[in-house]
Amino acid sequence: MSISTETGAPAGKAWKSKEEFLGCVILTDWILLVVLFAVLLGSFHIHYMLLAGDWDFWIDFKDRRMWPTVAPIVAMCFAAAAQSFLWTKLRLPIGATTVTLALLIGEWINRYDNFWGWTFFPINLVTPSALIPMGFWLDIVLLLSGSWLITALIGGLGWGLLFYPINWPWLAQFHQAAEVDGVLLTLADLIGFNSVRTGTPEYIRMIERGTLRTFGKDVVPVAAFFAGFISMLVYFLWWKIGAWFSTTRYLESDEI
Amino acid sequence: MKTSIMKTLAKCVTARAARIWAFGLVAAIAATTLPAATPASAHGERSQQAFLRMRTLNWYDVKWSKTELNVNDEMELTGRVHVFSGWPQAVAKPEIAFLNVGEPGPILIRKSSWIGDVPAPRSFSLETGKDYSYKLILKARRTGRYHIHVQINVEGGGPIVGPGQWVNIKGDMATFTNPVTLLDGSTIDLETYGITWSMTYHFLWMAAAAVWILYWFMTKGIIARYWLVKIGKADKLISANERKFGAIWLAASMLAVILGYAWANSAFPRTLPMQAGLLKGIQAIDEGTPTVAIRYGGGTYKVPGRELTFKIKVHNSGTEPMRVGEFTTAGLRFLNPDVYTSKPDFPDYLLADRGLSVNDPAPIAAGESKDLVVTVQDARFDIERLSDLAYDTDSQFGGVLMFFSPTGKRQVIEVGGPLIPKFQAAL
Repeated sequence: MSISTETGAPAGKAWKSKEEFLGCVILTDWILLVVLFAVLLGSFHIHYMLLAGDWDFWIDFKDRRMWPTVAPIVAMCFAAAAQSFLWTKLRLPIGATTVTLALLIGEWINRYDNFWGWTFFPINLVTPSALIPMGFWLDIVLLLSGSWLITALIGGLGWGLLFYPINWPWLAQFHQAAEVDGVLLTLADLIGFNSVRTGTPEYIRMIERGTLRTFGKDVVPVAAFFAGFISMLVYFLWWKIGAWFSTTRYLESDEI
Repeated sequence: MKTSIMKTLAKCVTARAARIWAFGLVAAIAATTLPAATPASAHGERSQQAFLRMRTLNWYDVKWSKTELNVNDEMELTGRVHVFSGWPQAVAKPEIAFLNVGEPGPILIRKSSWIGDVPAPRSFSLETGKDYSYKLILKARRTGRYHIHVQINVEGGGPIVGPGQWVNIKGDMATFTNPVTLLDGSTIDLETYGITWSMTYHFLWMAAAAVWILYWFMTKGIIARYWLVKIGKADKLISANERKFGAIWLAASMLAVILGYAWANSAFPRTLPMQAGLLKGIQAIDEGTPTVAIRYGGGTYKVPGRELTFKIKVHNSGTEPMRVGEFTTAGLRFLNPDVYTSKPDFPDYLLADRGLSVNDPAPIAAGESKDLVVTVQDARFDIERLSDLAYDTDSQFGGVLMFFSPTGKRQVIEVGGPLIPKFQAAL
C-alpha cells in the first residue's frame, strides 16, 4: 500500500495515511467515550433521582434501614445493564465503575448547582451516597470470574453489603448527638430541622419504622443482606435489559 | 457509503474541529451554570382551594417579632391556630403534622420550634376543635426580601399555609454561622461542618474510578475492542497481568473501605441512630369554657360584591356584654371598626380593617340571646381567591369569630357551614 503525499486521499481510500487512520480511530474512541459517559450520566441520574430520591438527596433520610436497602438495589439496575453492554460487546470490565462515576459526577453538579447554587441548601444536607467501591467490586468480580452468574451471586451480594461501610467514613460525623430544647437529635436530624424545606416535612422520613427493630441495634447487616439478595435478582434482570438495549438489528431489504 | 462516513470522520482530526468541540462544551457548561436564577418569592398559597384554607387551620394572633434583620439575627414567629371542627372530608385529619415555615429555601434557618410548651423538631398530632399556640425561632441566613409564612404540613393533606409577612435581611451570607454544642461539650459550626471531608472522600474515590476507566480505555480503546470481539477474539483481550492488576486493585479498594470504616468508628466513637417519632398528647390552649355560644343559621356569598353574609344566633352566658369584633379565615382578618378603634400591626394585604359589619351593633348583654346577621365584605376576599368557594365541591365556609367585652376579654368561637352562592348583584 502506498501512502499518498497529495492533498486528497488516493482513489478508493478514505485516509491519506495510516497515522491519519489511527488518529481518526482514537478521536472516535474519545467521542464515543464522552457520549457514552454523558448518556449514562443523564439516564442513570434521572433513574436514581426517581427511585432513590429523598434517600439520596438528604442527610436526614440516610437511616440504617431504608437507605441501605433502597439505594443499592436501585443503583444495581444501571450497573448491570452497563456491564452487559461493555463486557459482551467490548470486553471492558468498567461498566459498574463507569455508571457509578457518571452518577456521582451528575449528582455533585446537581447538588452544587441546584441545591446550593439556586436554593442555598448547605452541602452537608445534600451530600450524595458514595458508590464507587461497589462499582470496583462488581467490575472486578466480573473480570476475574468472566461469569455473568458468579457476578450476579457474588457481585450482587457484595454490592449490597458494601454500601453502608463505604458511606460510613463520611456519614459517621453526622451521627454525633446534640441536645436541642431538651430533645436528643443527631447532627443529621438537626441539619434537616434547621434547613427549612417547605415540601419535605419531617413525617415523610422513614426512620427505621417496622419490625426490623427486633434485631436491636443491628439493623444495618439485615438491611444490607436483604439489599444484596435483591441486588442479585436485579442484576439478572437488568443484565438482560442491557443486552436487549445493546442489540443491533438490521433491516433486510434488497433496496438498501 | 462506508467510505463517505469514514471521510467525514477523517475530517474531524483537525485542530479546528477540536477548538469547535471545546468551545461547544464550554458554552454548554456556561449556559447551564452561570445565569442567576430569580428567587421564588411566593409559595402558591392562593392556589390552594378556598375550602381547604378556610376549614382546616384558622390562624390568629400571628406575630413576626422583626421584619428587619441582619444575617445571624434571630426572630420569633408566634401565634395560635384553631383546628377546625368541620375539617373537610377531602383532606386527611392532622393526626400526623409538622410545624414548618413557608419560605424559599433556608433563608432563615429554624433554630427551634414549639407547639404549646412542647419542643417540636418532630411530627405531632393535633385534635380537631382545639386551639394550639406555636413558636418558631428563626435565624437570618441569606440576604434579600422574602415572604415568610407559618405553615403546618399535614400527612395526606399537604402544606397548609398561614399568613405571610415581608422580611428584609441585610448583611453578607458568608458571615452566617450556626454554632451547635454536641453532647460531648464541643462546639461546631453546623453551616459548614463536615463538608470538606465529605467532598474529599467522594472525590478521592471518583478520581480512583477515573483512573480505572482510563486504564482500560487507553489499552485498546473502543473500536479496536469491538472489532476483536466481533471476530471472536474476545478472550484474548484481557491478559493474565491485567487480571492480576484487577485483583490488586480490588484488594486495595476493599482494604481502603475497611480502614475507612475502622477510622470512622475510632474518630467518632459515640454515634447514635437518627431520632424520630410522633409527639402525641400535646396540650391545647385552655382558656376555660367559653361563655359565648353561637348557632349557624345559613349564609350566602355574593360573587360580584365579594360579600359573605351569614346568620347566627348568639347566646351570651357570661357576666359581661360581648360584641363581634373580628372574623378570621385563611389568614385574612376582617375587622369591625366599631370594636377596633386602631389598626393592628398586621400585613396590609391580609387586613380588612373595615371589612366586617353586624346588622345590630349593640353588644349582646350578659344572659341575652340575639339573632345577628354578619356581613364580611372586602376585595381581599377575591384577591386571596376565597371567592372560588362558590365553585368548590364542598360549598361550606369556616373561620373564627372573635367576641370582645368592654374590659378587653376575648372569646374565639368557631363558625362555619353551608353557603349559597349568588352570582348576580341584584339578588
